[in-house]
Amino acid sequence: LSSAYSVPRFTSDPLASAFPAQPGPPRRNAWDGVPLNGSPLDDLAAESFLQRSMSMILEEAVKKATDVRQKVCEWRSPEELKELLDLELRDGGESEAQILERCRDAIRYSVKTTHPHFFNQLYAGLEPYSMVASFITDALKPSLYTYEVSPVFTLMEDAVLRKMVQIVGWEEGDGIFNAGGSMSNMYAMNLARYRDFPEIKELGNSAAARLVVFTSQECHYSISKAAALMGIGTKNVFVVPSDKRGKMIPSALEEQIKSAKSEGAVPFIVNATAGTTVLGAFDPIDEIADICEKYKLWLHVDSVMSHLFSSHRANSVAWNPHKMLMACLQCSVFLIRDKTRLLQRCHSARASYLFQQDKFYDLSYDTGDKSVQCSRKPDAFKFWLMWKALGTRELEQRVDRALAIARSVWGNISDFAWLKPLSNFYFILLPLYLQVAPVIKERMMKKGSMMVGYQPHGGKANFFRMVVISPQVSRQDMDFVLDEIHSLGMDL
Amino acid sequence: MYFYVQSRFSLLTADGQTMEPTVGDLSDPLINHTEGQLFLHEAFKIIVEEVLCKGTDVKEKVCEWKEPEELALLLDLELREKGEQKEKLLQRVRDVAKYSVKTSHPRFFNQQFAGVDYHSLAGRFLSEALNTNLFTYEVAPVFVLMEAEVLRGLRELVGWTEGDGLFCPGGSTSNMYALNLARYRLYPEVKSQGLWSLPRLTIFTSPESHYSVKKGAAFMGFGMDNVIFVKVDDGGHMIPEDLDEKIKLSKSQGAVPHFVSCTSGTTVQGAFDPLDRIADVCDKHKLWLHVDAAWGGSVLFSKKHRHLMKGVNRANSVAWNPHKMLVAGLQCSVLLLKDTTNLLKKCHGANASYLFQQDKFYDVNLDIGDKSVQCSRKVDCLKLWLMWKAVGSTGLEQRVDKAFFHTRYLVEQMKKRDGFQLLREPEFVNVCFWFIPPSLRGKEKNADYQNRLAKVAPVIKERMMKQGTMMVGYQPLGDRVNFFRITILSPLISQKDLDFFLDEIERLGNDV
Repeated sequence: LSSAYSVPRFTSDPLASAFPAQPGPPRRNAWDGVPLNGSPLDDLAAESFLQRSMSMILEEAVKKATDVRQKVCEWRSPEELKELLDLELRDGGESEAQILERCRDAIRYSVKTTHPHFFNQLYAGLEPYSMVASFITDALKPSLYTYEVSPVFTLMEDAVLRKMVQIVGWEEGDGIFNAGGSMSNMYAMNLARYRDFPEIKELGNSAAARLVVFTSQECHYSISKAAALMGIGTKNVFVVPSDKRGKMIPSALEEQIKSAKSEGAVPFIVNATAGTTVLGAFDPIDEIADICEKYKLWLHVDSVMSHLFSSHRANSVAWNPHKMLMACLQCSVFLIRDKTRLLQRCHSARASYLFQQDKFYDLSYDTGDKSVQCSRKPDAFKFWLMWKALGTRELEQRVDRALAIARSVWGNISDFAWLKPLSNFYFILLPLYLQVAPVIKERMMKKGSMMVGYQPHGGKANFFRMVVISPQVSRQDMDFVLDEIHSLGMDL
Repeated sequence: MYFYVQSRFSLLTADGQTMEPTVGDLSDPLINHTEGQLFLHEAFKIIVEEVLCKGTDVKEKVCEWKEPEELALLLDLELREKGEQKEKLLQRVRDVAKYSVKTSHPRFFNQQFAGVDYHSLAGRFLSEALNTNLFTYEVAPVFVLMEAEVLRGLRELVGWTEGDGLFCPGGSTSNMYALNLARYRLYPEVKSQGLWSLPRLTIFTSPESHYSVKKGAAFMGFGMDNVIFVKVDDGGHMIPEDLDEKIKLSKSQGAVPHFVSCTSGTTVQGAFDPLDRIADVCDKHKLWLHVDAAWGGSVLFSKKHRHLMKGVNRANSVAWNPHKMLVAGLQCSVLLLKDTTNLLKKCHGANASYLFQQDKFYDVNLDIGDKSVQCSRKVDCLKLWLMWKAVGSTGLEQRVDKAFFHTRYLVEQMKKRDGFQLLREPEFVNVCFWFIPPSLRGKEKNADYQNRLAKVAPVIKERMMKQGTMMVGYQPLGDRVNFFRITILSPLISQKDLDFFLDEIERLGNDV
């Protein structure tokens, strides 16, 4: 990639202003050595630095990072890495060349999460359109609380949310982009609590009886963290057992609800998971929805892992396009089936320095009070640009492809591993039980050939979790992974 | 052979239908990386030209105002079945840049962030390109170490040689974490049992503090009513004697005061609460002292101005947002803690075994993810670290000092002109003032003066936005009607921009 961008010079020199100079007091040009007028940066230097750093980023962090011939990671022990990076922050600054070298080092020793052999987490792959959108937002650095400061992104977020509400299958809805799926799950709990007991917003939890949450034993740990943060308490998260495929057992859910009520507690929300973190299981949403309707509980579907699926009976849905659709982190959505502005009413604080009521435009476009955050990044734009570029059809095909790849490697595996059947659809997870997972993991990381996560689960020993979440992976990559595990572990 | 590739399975959907995926040849790479990189290349040129060059050029507009309905049409927001060609997408990139507000423009004074630093910008681009999560050393080795070093450097400025901390997705979250830690320290059982069996906990802050304290209180189950407002003086500073009174009152009512949030650099007036005296009160009553220095924390870089935060080392926690005065770019928000007992991890940890395995081959204390309430967490430390390395602490100090000097200049000039009335002498870089158009001058005694004055700022604001010449915010405060608040922090501005600012307010407002 050539590094020659022909762009106009930066003209940040205010002395080049079109306004005529005013007569006035003599202006000081410097004070205590600090220059007061003119840009602090040499314009040429700024331009050069930006061009060179971008070239390097594109070459090293984007191009090479997706190249299967390069390593996934360049393992160093923490002590060694600290020395290599020279992290200390000092009084004096450094030259452009040094800074570029530091960028290069940061890239070199970072794990290439976009590499075709990176299977360690529930996100992977490189999506260039969402990356461009990220760069634009980083350059513009807007904050998404009012229309006046972020006109474009306010409208975009709204357009994306509307479309997603449509896809879920609701006639009307609301939503917001969040700083992560954990936060989306928290929002669900907060809204459910507010719906049933709006006075809690002012008076606190003690205005109601002890509230309880229901979720499956396979759910994401953010439910537990949310309960702690929101003053509900982790003990008041009732964990419903799941069957051997990892799906919540509806009859057990009903038992637990009755049991909670008999204790004098107040059930208020059920969290169902569409695609659990470890096993990739889908809770039976329809049956759970029946129970929620019967007991008038809020049904939240934590669907962050998977393509939205059968969630139209839910009150709220959490979905992360940064997982399967490969949008750059963060890209997390919270959707709610509501047309009473519940999100706004639940969270608002109506700060008068931000949400003045006498503005000259339609105030319903100031969406900041729907959030618990103040400054908020326009993550919706990453998804919007990608969607515009690819179209709904292509997005769907990508998801289908990921599934097909997972299926295509299901075959005979040696007898020291055990493969879980995937017949309840739509998961892309291949657990391979191996007693020696930690050793193989260490070897693969030091070799830098690939990264696959392992963990214990239930009563079972460590097993590898091969997540085929990135549609960019091909069959050869899958073959490689299994061959590599075999060769790394052969002597064990 | 280890395994063989079977013929494609037919897939079952949840309702039992079979589905043959039409996904093409699975050995083909899905994404054409060459094309993708070319797109990145082209888009970057547009970003440099439209956002960075034009966006910082005083000859260009700060914003290109459009009504929402009109803008929605221009942007063609609808998401369709089919994708689009590269040229079309590049045009979209151009449109986004054109209609977005140029927050780096020398005449953007609307929020507590502005300007641009090219090193932190490069750091932001790099963070996006590497696209990783900061929960374990294995996935983000460089950044786990880097975050620790940046936090150490910031803690040193606060005056702590040890401690803990984390980067959060915003100052609001930092404030919430502090609230959570204080609660957990006092009643560790709250994590598992919730607030149900605890006495009523109360929180103290000033009415000029950031609204995230109230939002946090609601979110976390305390209830907004249990946020007790302490009186402030005319300048917006918390009055420690009143804090003491209110704490005693709360106790007498059977509640348990547990947290004081004071502010270093209030949002509107830029006031710095008297930390030493407030710390005295907190020590006396044994309350957690949190300093919300999201806006003002950066004065700690300046030897000349750090006295504004004298006593900060006595706090238990400090929130600080480098994306504000240090121009690091959203998001860059830190929570710093004095604690050395691993309180953060104990309070937030869930020990998820799929992420934080205890049998890893490196020191698992480096897996810091469980300190956060988030799971995925973006890398926000690189932008600050790179900038700090590039300009040094001295460079950041100069930035802060310069902002103060510009503020003094603006205030001096304002006093020389008719029609500009300061709320009070600024303590920080927030300058709050009313513009009194000629039609209202001398009419202070009129009965409808306040009402008419309140209408001046909104009109001027509308005009400036529609003409795109600059952006500055206004708001009411207590019983003071709408006034402008200009925040002077961008390293790109000069005195000329400040002269322009005053001229422009006059130009836009003279006939109101």
